[in-house]
Amino acid sequence: MTGAQAAGFTGREADSSAASAVKALQAGGRHAEARERYAELVGRHQRRASRIAFHYMRDVAEADEAVQDAFVKAYSHLSSFREELPFEVWFTRILINGCLDRIKARTRRERWIAPMPDGPAGERDFGERVAGNDPSPEDQLLARERRERLARALAKLPERQRSVFMLSHYEGCTSREVSVVTGLNESTVRVHLFRAIRKLRTLLGEGHAAETKVEKRRVHS
Amino acid sequence: MSILNRLRLTAHLDDAGLTTIWTDASATGVRQSNAHLESCSPCRARYAELASWLETLRLDATTEAHENFPPERLAAQHAQIFRRLEAAERPARVIAFPRFAQPLTSRTSHASRWIAAAAAAGLIVGVGVGQLMDLRHSLARATTDARVAPTTMARGVDPRMQPGNVTRDEAFLSDLDASLSRAAVPELRALDAFTPRASELPR
Repeated sequence: MTGAQAAGFTGREADSSAASAVKALQAGGRHAEARERYAELVGRHQRRASRIAFHYMRDVAEADEAVQDAFVKAYSHLSSFREELPFEVWFTRILINGCLDRIKARTRRERWIAPMPDGPAGERDFGERVAGNDPSPEDQLLARERRERLARALAKLPERQRSVFMLSHYEGCTSREVSVVTGLNESTVRVHLFRAIRKLRTLLGEGHAAETKVEKRRVHS
Repeated sequence: MSILNRLRLTAHLDDAGLTTIWTDASATGVRQSNAHLESCSPCRARYAELASWLETLRLDATTEAHENFPPERLAAQHAQIFRRLEAAERPARVIAFPRFAQPLTSRTSHASRWIAAAAAAGLIVGVGVGQLMDLRHSLARATTDARVAPTTMARGVDPRMQPGNVTRDEAFLSDLDASLSRAAVPELRALDAFTPRASELPR
């Protein structure tokens, strides 16, 4: 067992005991104590949850709201949580379902309302404002372009492939964990992951080739 | 070893094969040993290139997410979550219907009540005085008219035949005559000659 895996198991045990304690406190009507104990769980999973929500939503404010909703929902439905499942997996399922609902709502909204242009004070600039000043502006620009290309390519993947790729690759979940979160069986998870990588390679390869061509043409002219 | 197996071992892995190995490794957390990959350095290099490309994607995505969620933002999010949890657990606040609500009392309430009463009284008095003044004026006008009418009637003269009015009528008629006698436009003289005069018409 690797160190990370051991840490994961310890974390899971801690999650499990915290979740059980919160449940018992809630049942006993000791809400303030239950909230205090729940804060442990929130602190442990908040960063990861924000990351997952951001990968789905691609918008900081919406990701923030999705994470808040998921934690509030998990707390109020903790009585339905079964200890045989890791809290992390149960919570991720709630979070992803919330994100998918939000994406559906956003798609409906965007069909009718014209999008706002990204202004200088837009949310997208928040990260840029708070980011450290280590990389050069050129590196930052290249990184941003690369990320935008990746986000566009990811958005072109079917929903299941995208979920499987993000959970497996970005979050390091095993196929069993992804199968529990998504409700797909393990072999299907592997197939989706394989297809997602192949498609991303094609999409990003094509995008890169097209950009190189344009750049070459610009240099020649 | 069969020829087929030997061929399989010597043939280079294509992109799909490399992706399968990577996918299996990612799914289980352990890379399965692949005989060809162990022995073929070009395939190993291509596998390393694929793994590094995927690692770049992961790092880019993770960095971007971390940049967008700095510790301050996470702290604010944490606080907001617990505010919402507290609000959800607090019993709903019932707002009393206005009839049963406590009357608002303040130190200035008596003063403001007096001011309101004075303003209302002022308004009523103002309207009353206004009405009285108007009544007085109309009464005075009626009295004057009543005084003038009997004198005119007593003289037996039609008001339209008063000296001023007669002078004005005469002036008007003389103006009319002057304009008729004056043939200002030569082109209309012939037409004028054809037009019968009032005096020429048979009575």
